[in-house]
Amino acid sequence: MRSVLNKILTAMRGSVNELGEAVVDSQGNRILEQELRDSEQELKQAKQELAALMAESASLARQIRSEQDSASKREQDARKAITAGQEELAREVAERIVGHERRGAELTQTREILQQRIDSIKERVQRAEKQLADYRRELQVVKTNERVLRTTAQIDTNINSQQSSLSTAKETLERIRERQAREEDRQTASASLEKELTGADLDEKLKAAGIDGEQDAVDSVLARLKDKPAQ
Amino acid sequence: MDIQTLTLTLGDSTHAGRTFDVMPIAGEEPVLQVTVSGAEETPVYVTVTDTQILCLAYLFEEQELLPQRVNELHENMLRLSVPMPLSSLGKTGDHYVVYGALSPTSGTAEIMQELVTLAENAIDLLQTFEDYLA
Repeated sequence: MRSVLNKILTAMRGSVNELGEAVVDSQGNRILEQELRDSEQELKQAKQELAALMAESASLARQIRSEQDSASKREQDARKAITAGQEELAREVAERIVGHERRGAELTQTREILQQRIDSIKERVQRAEKQLADYRRELQVVKTNERVLRTTAQIDTNINSQQSSLSTAKETLERIRERQAREEDRQTASASLEKELTGADLDEKLKAAGIDGEQDAVDSVLARLKDKPAQ
Repeated sequence: MDIQTLTLTLGDSTHAGRTFDVMPIAGEEPVLQVTVSGAEETPVYVTVTDTQILCLAYLFEEQELLPQRVNELHENMLRLSVPMPLSSLGKTGDHYVVYGALSPTSGTAEIMQELVTLAENAIDLLQTFEDYLA
């Protein structure tokens, strides 16, 4: 990832990108995509192998258990034969037991070797998955970078063909200020219209002229009360 | 969400009292120019890829800046980029941009929110950084 980011930065510092040229050339992109496909393929194979080995290991475990079961069952038989004084029969059974135990031990050994291979493949799968995620992330960065460059180049070309040039930040700011002033004017106008409609402006004028309807009303109530004081 | 759906949806929608004026930008890449009402000076450009919906607005170009104050501007841009809602500051080619990236699974409401926020942020940023212009 670091190498991709560095490539992008190096290319960006130069002036090669004015026309939205691909930073990591399309050849590099193809290599990355090929690496991605290779990793995906490797991962798929490793997973298939892993599944097969795990199935084999499970089957071995079943066989080992079966040998052990047979051995312990035969042990009971042998004990019974000894109790019954059938020494010859007991020996025959003991031979069987040895056979079961040997096969059990052989199978266990095979399974241990198999388990080691499974562990190593599991590790390989994990490595491949991480690698794959890394490649995908890299490719995404490269592709997004190219897309942004192409997109901005396209916007510039388009705007340039419509106007004499892309408007400068100062021109934009001027237009923003004009609109904000217009909005302010409109707010002021609508506020004064509101006042007119509700008569608030007339009340203000009357107040300014010392004529206050509210004050007058209070005064007249007071006068009335004074006229008829409490008895 | 693809460009066609977005074009059709935005043209008929309002969000937080805003309307959207959508114009496709001719060319190889699917790009939309979206003008948000009340922030018409800073159109937002939208492009949709497999991994994201990218919305960006232009602030200024490198050559419009006071060269002796560029470092200070960069420092301030980095600092403002973090707290600014739904937008980050960046540079592509010679253009300084404010941009936001959304998941391609975003709904119309999220996209409209992004567009409104981005257009307003672009205006605020231009006014904030006016002193750095030559």
